Amino acid sequence: MNRLWHTLAAILLATTLAACGADAPPGGDDAAVELRWYCCLGTGEQAEQVKAQQKVIERFNASQRRIKVKLEVVTYDSARDTLATQIASGNVPDLAGPVGVGGAAAFHGQWLDLAPLIKSSGFDLSPYAKGSADLYRIGSVQEGVPFAIYPSTLYYKADMFEEAGLAEPPHKYGEKYTWPDGRQSEWNYDTLRELALKLTVDKNGKDATQEGFDPGQIVQYGFEPARDDLRYQGAAFAAGSLDTGDGKTVKIPDAWADSWRFFYDGMWKDRFIMTGPVFQTEQFNGDGAAFFSGHVAMSVNFLWSTYGVAGAGDDWDLAAMPSYKGRTTSPTSADTFRILAGSKHPAEAFEFLSYLVGPASQELLSAYGAMPARTADQDAFFAKLAGQFPNKVDWQVAKDSVAFADNPHSESYTPKYNQTLTILGTYRSRWMTQGGLDMNAQLKAMREEIQDVWNRS
Amino acid sequence: MRSETTSWVARREARYGLLFVLPWIIGFLAFTAVPMAATFVFTFLNISLTEREPLMFVGLANYQRLFADRQAWASLWVTARFALLWLPLVVVLPFLLAVAVNSRYVRGTGLLRVLLFMPYVVPFVASALIWQNMLVDDGWINTALRVLGVGDAPSWLSDPSWVIPGLVMIGLWGLGSGIIINLAGLRGIPTELYDAARLDGAGWWRQLWHVTVPMMSPVIFYTMILAVVEVMQYFLIPLVLFDGSGDPGGATRFFNLYLYQTFFTYQEMSYGSTLAWLLFVITLVVTLVLFRLSRHWVHYTSER
Repeated sequence: MNRLWHTLAAILLATTLAACGADAPPGGDDAAVELRWYCCLGTGEQAEQVKAQQKVIERFNASQRRIKVKLEVVTYDSARDTLATQIASGNVPDLAGPVGVGGAAAFHGQWLDLAPLIKSSGFDLSPYAKGSADLYRIGSVQEGVPFAIYPSTLYYKADMFEEAGLAEPPHKYGEKYTWPDGRQSEWNYDTLRELALKLTVDKNGKDATQEGFDPGQIVQYGFEPARDDLRYQGAAFAAGSLDTGDGKTVKIPDAWADSWRFFYDGMWKDRFIMTGPVFQTEQFNGDGAAFFSGHVAMSVNFLWSTYGVAGAGDDWDLAAMPSYKGRTTSPTSADTFRILAGSKHPAEAFEFLSYLVGPASQELLSAYGAMPARTADQDAFFAKLAGQFPNKVDWQVAKDSVAFADNPHSESYTPKYNQTLTILGTYRSRWMTQGGLDMNAQLKAMREEIQDVWNRS
Repeated sequence: MRSETTSWVARREARYGLLFVLPWIIGFLAFTAVPMAATFVFTFLNISLTEREPLMFVGLANYQRLFADRQAWASLWVTARFALLWLPLVVVLPFLLAVAVNSRYVRGTGLLRVLLFMPYVVPFVASALIWQNMLVDDGWINTALRVLGVGDAPSWLSDPSWVIPGLVMIGLWGLGSGIIINLAGLRGIPTELYDAARLDGAGWWRQLWHVTVPMMSPVIFYTMILAVVEVMQYFLIPLVLFDGSGDPGGATRFFNLYLYQTFFTYQEMSYGSTLAWLLFVITLVVTLVLFRLSRHWVHYTSER
């Protein structure tokens, strides 16, 4: 018996020693701090992007011996839940990104305030446009420093306009749209609707304004909004927030309600937007965005859509965002890297973050297809981006769109952020899959449901 | 002297027994009993990773919230709807298929067994993704239905009314293990019973009803209990197919998915624990009821 106990104790001791030894770094790197870079709460998961990120890490690791960085790639679909699980279990990564306003808001309160580190390290904010650092200030916490911005524009297929005998949408903000009869209209969502109807075509070649149009056999749709997020759809009409400002009361902004009615009627009444079941089909689901399928005439999306827009053919271009009630808004996403408040090595993480947004930024921005927040780098970025496409694209539209960024940002933090997103997602999905709904009743029910959740705060 | 020796041997055996079962006991305590007790304690606290509140004892507040939580009951209803459709199928169908495969009148039973079991070998997530492509509007299923003359084929994955039947269809893909269990049970029925029944003039149906079903009742009961537990934990397929969004329109936000979201998306540990305990209590009650009812229809051939 005693022999058995001794043997067991020896095995246990050996196993424990082996387990303890596993973490020991190889000789020579004993003092190196190991940092974990968590990706991909936003972009970053594509194979080429991962390669670029790895290269950046290799260069950083080779440039010094005190910090060793390791990249952890989790695909976007499960990145939020995985990070939440890691935080809950105390296995907190040091740095996460690139992550946008919404991705960061999902982890409200769990980002490190960078202000003291910015001050102590003398980080230079002067190369960025004035106030751009404020995009990353949430309350009193400076969660990030400027890195990438993605304004929204209208993507359109020039060949479809030509085929329909229609002029292309305006590229300059403030310009009017000219109809074939010479009539001019303000470039707003009413005009866009009128155009979208003419550009929605069934298999017999009839458009949605013509007698005998068959909505069950549509082969080309006129318009595709950014359907992933109702808040984005709302912000494409006008900036707003569900929070009235007191952090307790829910109000659906009128512009958002109008945009959602536009979305719903576009699918089930006017038929120029595809319904949920159609959106899922292989014919219209081009790598996650309907515009990429090449069967959609116009679509609102962020600049990052350039990653797959080649699928739409070589005759697409960018146009100005339409206005709503005389005001134009270009929802703008702002990505950066953030440090987790639970990081055990905040100073080293900030050193690496400074490297990412500094010396490595050009390479990373190029991989992400992101417009640099540093104004001096923007022209070079667009010159490189233009080289990826055979067609001539009016990139000036994207530059001009920045002036119409949404403020407040549609993805800004609201109470019970993740629960609110779930409710919005459920209504979005319901609207995409069920016709004949009373939208006023839907909006009222949605507001009450969100308010119920907020009341628990 | 003899009794002393026996007692020493018995003690030694007990110690060895304890020693060998110790890893399981440690595992059970560390990974089941202690976490369960911890979650029960959590239900009376306010642990949330997103709220910056000091840790507090909140009494029955989480339970009060549970009773007023429309989403919790809606999710329970989603699970119940699925269970109503799924349970009869997952219990009856493997039994009937096993009877068919076991029948002397069916040719190529070996091949049939392999074919019926084969889908079970495919990883569940992989088969779910394959089914996703088959069930979309322009997928194989609807294409086949259109060829058969069904003009308005269902939107299996995007219509809230059709998505549950769609998920049941995906689930049927994994019936292989149930069939094997039923087949093993069928092979264990003594042939004398059938001989006696035939001598008494029983035909195929009477043999099935009066011999096969009673003799198979422990196996049917076993598959039923497993199916109930499985259905209460149902979670993976909707998570994979709809990224845990509950799409379309919340029709796939199963109770377990809501529980998962509460824990890991909303990061509300205390309320998530309360939901987990509700799930545990429901599963326990349903299982106990089934055990109680089993006295009336499950026949064991040996005594305890």
